[in-house]
Order: sequence, then structure tokens, then C-alpha cells
Amino acid sequence: MFITKKHLSRRTVLRGLGASLSLPFLDSMMPAQTALSKTAANPKSRLMCIYVPHGAIMGKWTPAAEGKGFEFSEILKPLEPFRDYLNVVSDLAHPMAGGENSDAGADHQRSAAVFLSGVHPEKGVEAHVGRTFDQAYADRMGQDTPLPSLELSIEDVSLSCGAGLACAYMNTISWKTASTPLPMENNPQVVFERLFGDGRNDAERAARRTQASSILDSLQGEIASLKKQLPASDRTRLAEYLDDVREIERRIQKAATAAPAGLTVPDAPVGIPDSFSDHLKLMFDLQVLAYKAEITRVSTLMLARETSTVVYPESGIRSGFHSTSHHSDVAENMDKFAQINRYHISQLAYLLKKLQSTPDGDGNLLDHSLVLYGSGISDGNKHNHDPLPVLLAGGASGQILGGRHLRYSKHTQMSNLLLSMLDKLGVPMDKFGDSTGKLEI
Amino acid sequence: MKRWIITGMLAVLAGSGSYGPTAAVAQTGTASPERAFLNQYCVTCHNARARTGGLALDSLDPAHPGENAETWEKAVRKLRAGMMPPSGAPRPDRSVTDGFTAKLEAELDRWADAHPNPGSTALHRLNRNEYARVIRDLLSLDVDVSKLLPADDSAEGFDNVADVLRISPSLMDRYVSAAAQISRLAVGDASIGAATATYRSASGDGAGEIPLGTFGGLVVHHNFPLDGKYSFKVRGGGGVPYDNRVSKVEVTVNGEPVKVVEVGYYVTADFQLDMTAGPQTLGFALIDKDPQPIATTWKVPPNSVGPTTVAIAGPLSSTGPGDTPSRRRIFICKPQSASEELPCAKKILSTLARRAYRAPATDDDLEILLGFYQRGRNASGFDTGIQSGIERMLVSPRFVFRFEEEPAGLAAGAIFRVDDLELASRLSFFLWSSIPDDELLNLAVQGKLKDPAILEQQTLRMLNDPRSDALVKNFAGQWLYLREVKTAPAPVNGELRRAFERETEMLFQSILRENRNVLDLLNADYTFVNERLARHYGIPNIYGDHFRRVAIKDEARRGLLGQGSFLLVTSVADRTSPVARGKWILENLLGTAAPVPPPNVPALEESAGKNEPRSVRQQMEFHRRNAVCASCHKIMDPIGLSLENFDLVGKWRDADQGVVIDASGELVDGTKLNGVASLRKALLSRSDVFVTTMTEKLMTYGIGRSVHYYDQPTIRSIVRNAVQNDYRFSSIILGIVKSGPFQMRVKGSGGA
Repeated sequence: MFITKKHLSRRTVLRGLGASLSLPFLDSMMPAQTALSKTAANPKSRLMCIYVPHGAIMGKWTPAAEGKGFEFSEILKPLEPFRDYLNVVSDLAHPMAGGENSDAGADHQRSAAVFLSGVHPEKGVEAHVGRTFDQAYADRMGQDTPLPSLELSIEDVSLSCGAGLACAYMNTISWKTASTPLPMENNPQVVFERLFGDGRNDAERAARRTQASSILDSLQGEIASLKKQLPASDRTRLAEYLDDVREIERRIQKAATAAPAGLTVPDAPVGIPDSFSDHLKLMFDLQVLAYKAEITRVSTLMLARETSTVVYPESGIRSGFHSTSHHSDVAENMDKFAQINRYHISQLAYLLKKLQSTPDGDGNLLDHSLVLYGSGISDGNKHNHDPLPVLLAGGASGQILGGRHLRYSKHTQMSNLLLSMLDKLGVPMDKFGDSTGKLEI
Repeated sequence: MKRWIITGMLAVLAGSGSYGPTAAVAQTGTASPERAFLNQYCVTCHNARARTGGLALDSLDPAHPGENAETWEKAVRKLRAGMMPPSGAPRPDRSVTDGFTAKLEAELDRWADAHPNPGSTALHRLNRNEYARVIRDLLSLDVDVSKLLPADDSAEGFDNVADVLRISPSLMDRYVSAAAQISRLAVGDASIGAATATYRSASGDGAGEIPLGTFGGLVVHHNFPLDGKYSFKVRGGGGVPYDNRVSKVEVTVNGEPVKVVEVGYYVTADFQLDMTAGPQTLGFALIDKDPQPIATTWKVPPNSVGPTTVAIAGPLSSTGPGDTPSRRRIFICKPQSASEELPCAKKILSTLARRAYRAPATDDDLEILLGFYQRGRNASGFDTGIQSGIERMLVSPRFVFRFEEEPAGLAAGAIFRVDDLELASRLSFFLWSSIPDDELLNLAVQGKLKDPAILEQQTLRMLNDPRSDALVKNFAGQWLYLREVKTAPAPVNGELRRAFERETEMLFQSILRENRNVLDLLNADYTFVNERLARHYGIPNIYGDHFRRVAIKDEARRGLLGQGSFLLVTSVADRTSPVARGKWILENLLGTAAPVPPPNVPALEESAGKNEPRSVRQQMEFHRRNAVCASCHKIMDPIGLSLENFDLVGKWRDADQGVVIDASGELVDGTKLNGVASLRKALLSRSDVFVTTMTEKLMTYGIGRSVHYYDQPTIRSIVRNAVQNDYRFSSIILGIVKSGPFQMRVKGSGGA
């Protein structure tokens, strides 16, 4: 429902047959030379955090040499063209993802929730973790865009959560507060409408914006005057609802005043593409578009949920993602899993290329972005959380040098990296999650 | 609304004065039979020092379990399910264990009668499935809600558990835009933009219908928002690329032929039609004579290039809102003059608001809605005014949340009955996943619903109403994992997946509609098949796409354990998973959570290459050589292994990878197993455990919160009553509706 740009000439008839959906469909609508960041020195980097479940074959992920000029490992090879933008970060751990004696073994259930929070997800139906890294950044640097952040997934939510833990731990990696998971959206069409809204022309869009504003305005009055004898916990929820109403009102006002930029909105995608790579590319395209149009600067994406049984025929591996991750330390099985790891990395290469080829200010979007990619699990066969597969891409507006394999001392909390990255992103904090200090990055 | 405040909910049956000191008993020489039972069979592991499973029973008094009800309920659960004592340990006769357990339960129930605790549910928000049904019942409009609202989290296996139905800015955002889109669709607003919907046949997400008397094709139900012109694109190919053939396809609208077009893999029929607004049924039928033999159940014969995909886009241009079910539902009056407009708007909006808010609309409610009506009216006329009022209604907290008030002047911890209107909503969301209808609402407004006779009569009426299919879709769909059938990883085509899902839905539905014994879910001597499914199961002489009831001749296929839905969702991509099957049965049919694997599970010492075990059973046995794994896997695996005659897609097999299937094993209680029939018999021998588990699941779903130890006495009493009614479905539903947790709340601390 947010319209940021004028001159939106959206053709009436949307895409035809779903099967004919070709990618990247958004290219046509990006005027190649339109730099949307108007000032040369735009200090606000885009931040994208991508989660992959089940860990990786670390022996085939971690480059042998440290520092600059390292040789790309088998899994990371597809990223070699982006060496100068890349930092492989080794020997990080997420101790908070482990179970305690009382409720051991819930590693899959906890890993995604810990990844960006560094907080142990508590047991019980009601979720409790901690505000995540992306939201810490969005709270400071995402408030002047129509959407503070965008949360995306490839898989729909599922019923299998287990181990007496809230399903939200597995359904999202983004938490606005300790108890507010941000739901992830997997339908590109819905994402598209969130970015560009509906309405056939400027006048209609403006009218709908006004209507939405008055509705939200009157909701505040209605909530205030609800003279109900409600339990204290219900009143707390109602207060949260009121906060959300105000937040949406703020976003609409932002959308109304956002700067025009000669952007032509493309046809909306139709539904969810059948193939994983088509689906993922579309989600990448939408994020790049949202960055470029400054609709948002922060996004999170889950390639799959923990314990996902999805099969990736395009990777050449015909067994399910989760069962392949349980490779039993058999060389042949480990090769198979590494092949899936590499397949995921090859998809990431598409994103980096897209960012790199999108002009932005005095450079390109990759110069002005920070992409964090990794898993909350190390060895999928053991469910351990040390050392984690993690890499960074993008220049973060000149804040981070690339081309390095960074190795820290063993068992370094990943929260230390998150804390240090917040520094680089201009949101310094003293502590984050279970951090014990800052890292040189 | 008058409230019934109940402070001492039920008569106190047991004098609390009779309770003796607890810890001392264990030490006295005159140990009770219960103490002796514990000493002999339990405390070797479950003592204060070892605390196996976090349980110490040596210091607790079995004569007075109420004071440690949470602990004792755990023990009762394990004993009832036959999980304790573990295999290998000395085990008394089942009658002895049952006697001990019954005594414990009786004491726990007595305690609960004296100390009632109906619990409290958090503030409920409409979830996505409920939202869709509410819109249908309120506005006679079917919407694809998956495009409007994000998916909900779930807990305890259900997506209507109030604790996890949180609000977030992005959800709020979606509510606001959903309200705008739905209200415009409902009144047929002229500004509705073009939208595209794609329908597919054959594999995947196609509609389960085939045009009658044709060679194949697909049937599409589509809602056209306005009278006007729409674009259609029909493509063929049956999924086979590089096929240059072209087929003739007849297009029908509500059965009337309107056009013949040609389609193929490379030929898309692209045409426009003038459509009237509202839901219409379109047929795209292959009318070529195909020289190849045709399998009648394929939506498109495998060797043909019939229609496989239909995309409908529009409206491209419109001539007006038309006469749709939604407009007939909304516009109960039509102003003939300007002076009639406001009274008519008032009538329309107050009627809708009463249903939407599940209570008579107050003056304040109406004032807000009429304000929005006026804005729209002034901008673009009466219909837009109504649209604007509906839009506002659909984001009201009164619509989105199900508030339940606390009576003033009650102390924290006091128990009170929810008021009649709140009860009406509880009932309709339980049975229909939707708002009360006028009959239920009227009784609640009159304060009559709390009357047990009326409540029972309404419950039975609602169960018999077609809207109770919500229990099939939302309760059984989640409890029995039917929602997972569509995406389960094992390789099955979409048509068979739909058949699996439909079969179990229809079995559950037959138990609901015919008020049958719920054990039929495990043991029915009938099932529902179409040709495709019958072929899969090896049932002869079933032709055509429609589902019909058939008697089961093959013992193996009786009940859920022989059904494709269950067998598919418990398999992985390339093999069966006895662990998953065993775990699933433990959790969903026996109510015993399988233990989670220990952290940092050690790798299996599997040797690579030629010595690798081959059958699934051999792999499992390999796994169990590890003692840490074995302790739990010996509980789960035998259950799953007894089902090994069913392959990963539920087809019968006698061998796995060339190794003859061995479906033998032993349950933890010593029961010998050999094949599915023996497992079913074992489950039926603990039918009370199955019915208790089902009641627990229904209760969780019905009240929208986790079931706790203090709910167990209520559940036992529901099951006890149900057994006297042959476990009829309605007896369990009525038991829940009449229970404390369903009708009462505990006043929260810190409440106003």
C-alpha cells in the first residue's frame, strides 16, 4: 500500500501465464542510469541478512589461507568474481543456540532465532528471544523510509516446530522486540504490493492513502475509548496494536512525501514461481528494487526453514535438504551436501551481480550495501553451532574492506561480529546479545 | 449483560482435612499398596538423586497427589500410554498398572473438583483461515486470503492458539490493505483494478474437477468482481515440452458453450469475454478425439496437449457492479431519494457491524462507521459510502480481536463465567472457525445461551451445519497433518496428493456428520476413493474422478494407518522414515511427546561403500547400535517399522531394496508387532489413550490455548462420559463445550 514514486504507469493487464514468468522481470523498469541516492556520500548503507539452515560442510566452505589473496574453497567458488567485495569470516560460534540440560536437542528449533539475536530462545508457547541485528539497524537507520524493513522467505510456515518451543523461532530470523517476531512473506506478489501499493493512477493512490490515514487516525480514537474491563495482558496487547497503528500511519505519511525519481513500476509478479531459483531471484530482484527506490534499507531473507525437506533438482542432488545434511560423515554424502551448499552460494552470486550492476550515488548498490550470509548451525550432521559458516559481502559505503578471509580466535561469539558491524553501520552499541567484545573487521 | 460469578465452581467433594503430611509416608513402615508399587517399579530411576527424566517420585505421596498434580499427571500419562516402566525393567501386569493409575487419577480428579482451575486464554486475534471464513459469512465473498494476510504462527500444532497470534506493523499494514480490497470487491467498486489469477490442471495445484463427458480439461471457479471485459489465456501441453500438436478446447460459462479455441504447448489461446459479476464456473474441455488410450482420471490425458493452464485477468473495462451475492447480502435497502440515504446506511452498517463485532453495535460504533460512510458518500455516492464504512469496520479492534471482559470487583484468581455473547463467539469459532449466525447471536443477546439445554441444542445444530467443515479443514487438517500433504517431499503427483488429503478429510467428515465412534478413525471398515486412489491402493472396478464410499476388503487399509495422507507426510524425499512414523503416532495418537535427540548427536559409525546396509530396517538397526540413540529409538522405531509394508507414498510392498519386508517388532510395553494390523490392534487396546489424545487436541483447538496438567481431570471426565456414548463424536464436542475451560476464566492478577 505504499507508493513512493510518482509517474507510476502500471499497465492494467498483469502478467499472463504464470509459467511464462521470465526473470529478471524487474530489469525493464529500472532506468539504467537513474541514481536514486541523490547525494554522493550517502551514509546509510543497505543491510541484507540471509539465513540458510542446516549449516555447511565446513571443510569445503572454509578457505585454507587467511587474509588477502586466499584461494576460494569448493563451496564459495561461485563468489570469486566478487572477491574484492567479500569477507569470509571464520571461527564464529553461537553458544546461545545450544540446549541446556533440561531441554537439550532443540538445535534446529533455536538456530534461526539465535542467528541475528545472540539470545537463547526460551522454552514455552510464547516466544522470547531478543531484538535482532537487522532491527537494531532499522530502528536507527530505517525510520525515514516508508518501510523500516522487509522480511522475506522462500518457504511458507509449517506446523512442525516441536520441542515445546514457539514456532516463530523457526518461521523468522527477524525480531522487532524480544517477543515480537516479524512474519516473513514468501509470496512475491504480496511483497510487490507492499512496495508499490494498488491503485490505477496517481489520483487513486493518493485517495487510498488519505483513506488509510483517516482509518488509522480514527482507530486510535476507538482504541482509546474502548471502555472494556480487560485482563491486564489483553490491555498490553491492545497497546501494542495501537503502536502498530501509529507505525503504519507514520509509514503512510512517509510514502506520501517520498521523493519522485522517474521510476516506472513493472507488472506485478503473479503468485509464487514453481522453481526455487526463479522464486529466489524474484525475491532478490524485489529487494534490490526496494533498495534502489529507497522504499527500505533493511531486509532479511530465509532460504529455507530449519529441517526443511525441500529438494533442489537444479543442484543435481535429488534427496531432501535436511536428510542430505545428515551426512553421517560419509565422504560421498558430504559431497552431496556440499553440492547443495554450493548451489545456494551460486544463487547468492546472482544477488551480488545484481547489486553491483545497479548504479547508486557515486558507485553501485553493492558498494553501499552490507550483505550477511550464514547459518546458525555448523555441521548439519551434529547440530552444533561452532564454527559457523558466515560471510560478508558489500562495501557498506566504504566502511568495510573486502577480499579477505578473516579468522578470529576459536569459539568467538558471532554476536561480537554483529556488534562490530553495528559500529561500522553507524549504530554503535556497548553490547549485543551474548557479545563479549568487538572485533577488528 | 448479566454475569454469573462462580467462586466455588463445584461442590467440594473431599474434605481437605483428611490430607496428611506428604513426605513422611515414604518412611513409615506401613507402606500403602501405591507406595509399594512406586518403590518396586519406579523409584529406582525416579528418585531425588537420579531424577531420571527430571522426575523424583520417592518423596511424593501417592495417596495425596493433588498437591503435586503437575508431576503426577506426567506419571499418569506415561503409565496410560504403556511407556513405563521401560522395556527391560521389571514390569507389573497391565491390570496392576491400570489399577494404580486409576487410583492416582481418582485422587487427582477429587483434588481438582475441590480446587477448580479453568485457566485463561490470551486475547484472540482472527487468524488467516478464520478471517477468510468470516469474510465469506459476513459479506458472501470468497477471497484468496493467502494473498492478503501473512501466514500465522502456530503452537501446539494449531494456528489458533491465542498466545502466538501476535500483531506486528506488517500485519497491521496487511489488515488495512485487505480491508480496502475486500470492501471494494464486496460492493463492486468501479475503481477495482485488474488482477490476474492462474489455474493449473494435472499435477500441482489444479482444481480437482474435470468437465463431464469430455476427454479431459479443467473446471475453474472464479469470482468476477465487476460486469465487464476479461482476458483469458489458455495454454496446453500436459507438461510435455517440444510437442507441436494443437488441440481443440471448448470454453463453457456455467455450462453454456461460448467458444472453441485451439491450444498447444506452443499455442496459447488468447481471447476476451464479457462476464457478469460474481462467482462463475468455467469449463475448458478437450473435445479432440485422441487416438491414444486415455486414462480417465488424468485431468489431461498424458499423451494429449489439452488445456493445462488458464489465466484470467481483468476487468479490462467494466459496465457496472452487477448483481452479486455480496451486493445482495450488503444492500438490504436501496435509497430512492437523498433523504432515505442516511437511514438506509444506518441500517446496512448496523446489521453488518452486529455480525462482524459479534454483538449489537453501540452508538459509538455506529458513529465511527457512519463518519466513514459520509466521507465516501460525499466523494463518490452512496455505494462508495457503504464501501468506506465496511472498510473501517474490517480494521476495528472489535472485529480483529475477540475481547472477553473481566467482571469488575472480582479478586484476582476468582473464577467467572464468560458472558453469553463471548460464549457464542467461543462456540462459533470452535465449530465454524467463524462468526456466530443470527440464531446463535439472538440467543446470546437474550441471555439464553448459558442454559445447558439450549447450549447443547445449538452445539448439535452447528455440528450439523455445513459450516462445521471448518473442523475438518482446520482441526483435522492440522491434527492429522493434512495441510502438509500438498508439500510433503516424497515424489507424488498433485492429483494423488489431493486424493490422499480428500480421503482422510472424508473419513473424518463421515465421523463428524454421522456422529460415529471416533475409533473409526483408526478402524473404519470403509473409506473414500476415486479411480486414481483406488488404483494406488489396488482396489478394482472404481472409475471416474469423483470420490465414493467403498467397503474395505484389505485389512491393511483400514483407518488412518493405511491411508496415503499419513504415510506420505511421515516419509522423507527418497524413503520411508520409521522414526517419523513412530514419532508421529506417539505424539498425535498417543499424546506422548517423543524425546528430542541429545545435543551434538554423535555421527553414526557408518562405513562407506559396499558394506552399507540396504533396507530402511537395516539402516535403523545400525542406528540403534549407539546406546544413546537406542534408548529413545527403541520406543519409536518398532511402531514405524511395523508399517514398512507401506512405501514412502503409501503403496503396498513386500520388499524394500530387494530385502523382504520384516514388519515385526515389540512395543515398549512388550506387545508383539507384525505389520499394520497388529499395530492398529495395539492402539485399539489402549483406545482410552487415543480418545484422550484426540480430546486434548480438540480442547487445545477449541479453547485456543495449551492444555495444562490442571486440565487433565476435565479431559478425563469428558472421555469417561464419551465412553458411555460409544465415543460418539458429538459426545466429545459436547463435553468440551460444557467444560469449565470452555465456559469459565480465571481473573488475572493486575486486572482492573
